[in-house]
Amino acid sequence: MGTLIKQELFKLTHKKGTWLAVLFMVVVQIGFAVLSWRYPKFFGTSMFVMNNYIGGALVDFIMIASAASMIAMEFQYGTIKQLLYRKYYRSQVFVSKLLVLLLQMIGLQVVASAMTGILTFIIKPKFDWTQVVDHMPIWRDYLLTTGGSLLVMLMLLSLVILMATWFKTNAAAIACGFIGYFVTAVAAQIIIMFVQRWHWLKWNPFTMLLTGNQIADPKTYHALTLLDTPVMIACTLGYTALFTLIAYLSFRRRAV
Amino acid sequence: MEALLKVSGLNKTFGKKKVLHGVDFTVASGRVVGLVGPNGAGKSTIMKAILGLIPTDGGQIQIADQAVSITKHQALRQVGALIEYPGIYPFLTGRQHLELFAAKKQRQQHVDAIVQALGMAGYINKPAKSYSLGMKQKLGIAQALVDRPQLVILDEPMNGLDPQAVKDLRDIIRAQAKAGTSFLISSHILSELEKVADDVLILNHGHIIQQSTMQDLAEAGGTIYELQTVNDRDALAALQAAHVPVNLVDRKLQITQTDRTTLNAALIALVHAGIAVQDVTKAQHDLEQSFLDLVEQEVH
Repeated sequence: MGTLIKQELFKLTHKKGTWLAVLFMVVVQIGFAVLSWRYPKFFGTSMFVMNNYIGGALVDFIMIASAASMIAMEFQYGTIKQLLYRKYYRSQVFVSKLLVLLLQMIGLQVVASAMTGILTFIIKPKFDWTQVVDHMPIWRDYLLTTGGSLLVMLMLLSLVILMATWFKTNAAAIACGFIGYFVTAVAAQIIIMFVQRWHWLKWNPFTMLLTGNQIADPKTYHALTLLDTPVMIACTLGYTALFTLIAYLSFRRRAV
Repeated sequence: MEALLKVSGLNKTFGKKKVLHGVDFTVASGRVVGLVGPNGAGKSTIMKAILGLIPTDGGQIQIADQAVSITKHQALRQVGALIEYPGIYPFLTGRQHLELFAAKKQRQQHVDAIVQALGMAGYINKPAKSYSLGMKQKLGIAQALVDRPQLVILDEPMNGLDPQAVKDLRDIIRAQAKAGTSFLISSHILSELEKVADDVLILNHGHIIQQSTMQDLAEAGGTIYELQTVNDRDALAALQAAHVPVNLVDRKLQITQTDRTTLNAALIALVHAGIAVQDVTKAQHDLEQSFLDLVEQEVH
C-alpha cells in the first residue's frame, strides 16, 4: 500500500497543473488581500479571513478537478492495466488514490490557511484573532468554519469520484464534477425549503451540504435543517462512506 | 523443465458469447512461448486473465504454484506485462515512467540497464507525450522488463518498432530467457515470432489447437530441398530411377525429405549420372504456413 501511495504522490507532484493550481490560489488570495487593504469598507478583513481570502472556494474547485481526474485519467491514458495487473488489488489501488486526495486536500488547506495568517498579518498587523464576534472568538469561528467546509467537501468529493468512475476522459469527469458542484448547491437551497413542509426530507444528502454552516452557526441552521449538529456530522460522514463504497463498486466492475 | 505458468480448463464468456473454451497450456521456466491466433481468437483475453485483470468463468491459473484470479494477485509480484498498447502519462518523462513502477532495490541500475538495452538513451529524459508510436512501444516494453520479472507477458510487442528495435528486443528476450525468465508473447508478425520463440501455442475460436516446440512445428510440415542442376530434365530422370521422391515444380526440382538419407541418396544419384549440382536450398514449413494450415483445417 505504501508503494501505491508513493506512486500516486509521484504522479500528482509531477503534474504541472498541481503546482499551477496552488500558485493560482495563492495569487488570488494575495489579490483579495490587496482589495481588503485598499477598500476595507467594502471588503472587511474578518469576512475574508473566514473564507481564506477566497482560498477556501478555490480549494474546493481544485479538489473537484483533482478527484475527477485521478481515476478518469488512468482510463484516458490507458495506464489502468499497468496499475491493476501488479500484486495489488483494485481495492488497494482505489484506497491509495483516496488517501492521496485526502493528503492533497489537507496540503491545500494548510497553504490556504498559512496564506490567510500571513496576509492578515501583513495588511492588518493589529487584527485581533481573539475578539469575540457572535459569542465566539474569531479564531474558533475560523477553525469551525474551515473544519465544517472540509467535512462537506469530503462528501462532495466522494460524489465526484463516484461520477468519475463512469467517465473515460479527464475533461468529461472534471466538467461533470463542476456542474455537479453547482447543481447540488442550487438543489440544496430548493430542497431545504421542502424540508419545512415534509420533515422526513431532512435526511436527504443535500441537507448535509449545510453541515459546515450549522457547525459554525448551530442555532440559525438547526431551524432550517431540523437536525442536531452531531447528527448532521454523522450523516455527512455516513453519506461520504456510502458514495465512496458505491464508487469503489463501480470502479471494481469496470472493464479494462 | 518445471512449468512456471500453468493454465488449465480456462473458460471465459462475454455476455452470451463464449470466447475461451477450456484452454490448457503451460509455460516452462526460461522458455519463450509464442501465442498466435486470428483476430478475436482470445489471445488478449487469456493474457488479461493470467494478469488477474478480468474475472473468468472456470479453470485455474497458477504462477509458480500460486493461484491467480481477479481477487488473488500475490503471484503477480514477479510478472511484467505489456497488454494491447502502452499506457503513457503525458506529464512524465520516459525515465520517470520507469522509476514510477521499478522496485526500490537497485532501481537506478535496472532503469539504466533497460534504457541502454533498448537504445532509449537519446530521448528517455524527454516528456513521453512527444514520443513516436515506436518510442512509446519501447517504453511499454521497458516498463514490463525493468524489474527483471520471472514471467513476462507481451501482447504484440513488435507493433510500431523499426527493424533495429525489433532485433534489440529479440536479443533482450533471448538473453533474459537464458537467465531463466519465461515469456508469453503474442504477435501477428509470425516471421519475427518464430525467430525468438521456443514453443508455440496456436489459438483459434477460443481453443488451443496446437501446442508444440517451434522445431516440431517446422518439422511437422516436412522438409523440402530445391535443387538446381546443369540439366534439370536429366536430373529428374536420374532421381526417379534412384527412387528419390522428386517433383518438378515451377521448373525447380523439389525433393521431399523422407528420412535423414534422402538428400544424400539424391546427390549420389546425380553424381553417378554425371549431372553437376549448382545449388541446394532447404525449405521448411515456416510458422506462418503452419498456422495457416492449422486454421484452414479447423475451418473444414
